[in-house]
Amino acid sequence: MRVALVTGAAGGLGRAVARRLAADGALVAVFDRSPGRELDLLAEEIGGFAVPADVADPEAVREMAAAVEERAGAPIEVLVANAAYMTMAPFTEHDLDDWWRIVDTNLGGTFACVQAVLPGMRARGGGHMVFVASEWGVIGWPGASAYAASKAGLISLAKTLGRELAPEGIAVNAIAPSVIDTPQLEVDARAAGVSSEEIRRRYAERVPLGRTAAPEEIAAAVAHLTDPRMSSLVGQVIHVNGGTTRARA
Amino acid sequence: MRERVALVTGAASGIGAAVVAELSRRGWVTAGLDLRPAAGADHAIGVDVADPAQVGAAVQRVERELGPIGAVVSAAGHYAMVPVADITRAQWRHMLHVHLGGLFNVCRAVVPGMTERGRGAIVAVTSELAIGGGDGDAHYAAAKGAIIGLVRSLAVELAPEGIRVNAVAPGPTDTPLLESSSPWRDPAYLATLPARRLVTPEEVAVTAAFLIEEGTFCCGEVISPNAGAVI
Repeated sequence: MRVALVTGAAGGLGRAVARRLAADGALVAVFDRSPGRELDLLAEEIGGFAVPADVADPEAVREMAAAVEERAGAPIEVLVANAAYMTMAPFTEHDLDDWWRIVDTNLGGTFACVQAVLPGMRARGGGHMVFVASEWGVIGWPGASAYAASKAGLISLAKTLGRELAPEGIAVNAIAPSVIDTPQLEVDARAAGVSSEEIRRRYAERVPLGRTAAPEEIAAAVAHLTDPRMSSLVGQVIHVNGGTTRARA
Repeated sequence: MRERVALVTGAASGIGAAVVAELSRRGWVTAGLDLRPAAGADHAIGVDVADPAQVGAAVQRVERELGPIGAVVSAAGHYAMVPVADITRAQWRHMLHVHLGGLFNVCRAVVPGMTERGRGAIVAVTSELAIGGGDGDAHYAAAKGAIIGLVRSLAVELAPEGIRVNAVAPGPTDTPLLESSSPWRDPAYLATLPARRLVTPEEVAVTAAFLIEEGTFCCGEVISPNAGAVI
């Protein structure tokens, strides 16, 4: 049975990814910052287990990965690095500690996860990693300097590790979703000072497909990138964004 | 009722044949268009995709005999390396008319029906050479690059109609298009690829099938299983 680790699994997208990988037959370890009933229920639902830890703490991440591999009795084969944190503020007003917290969680947290799972993937002779980046990491976004920079960093990390690890049979790629219909929309709505319905309408308006994404649609792209048959797809960014950056409306 | 009829061009060999096999496995009824008989397809039609009349007639026949076409994979193509100064007008024209014209002709023929039904998925097979270019690949890369422009424009034009248009841009793939003496098969070249090997036709087919069935939020996207040739 494939062992998969999904970070940020308590959130809307992470949950959908964990469910999808489990449905495709993987034993999924669901990882999120804090232990909680929701994470436990998700683990129970998909026949996996919950491993709470803070991705921004490399030591905790290493211990968590070791615990997963011991409990699963096999090395982690699939890593989906999805844990993210964001706040929005005009660039000059961005709180410095918060700016670094975003980068340390999104980019640094992924770095820590890669370091933690790599020995196991090397031992088993291959694996798949998917970094969840963002449309904003491709095109930038006003008020999201730290988030966009962290996500652009993830894209470069995926390209670099795609090159560096492909010779060992480890396929690393990124996905860059645009707006997904998850509770994260509430954060954007608050930042914009509008209702969640209004922010959803505004986002949908600029998507050629005319709507926001369901988490399951993004999870399907993750499933494709981690398909055991797909090992020559490396260092790429899949733009699952309804056409926002791939075609001009 | 969801249409489960897929039309695949270049279906007789290589990537097109792999696409037919993958879609058949997933329960699609396949119509294979090619100059030669597409043995694996449920319905094989001899067609030169560069000829709009032949393509139009084939699409009509497929829809009459199998039902409405729900998905198209445009994979017909040929490959040649020629230094730019030596490319004849006939070679240039042939390259553009098969690759870009083939996609254009198929889209013209299937889009009215898909628009009427309010759904459809089109996947074009382009190439990493469209993105990275290649020494001696001027006419091939130009034709494949034009496909990406067409795909992205159709994607945004047809999105409101419920039709998704996307592309796969494989790297050098292990198909009959690459002769045994091809430089793309040279071990010294393969050693430069991060994945150290040719792409398999199955990887391209699985990606095309993903874009048809599950890539429902992909619009104008180009997915590149290319062994790391272009990152």
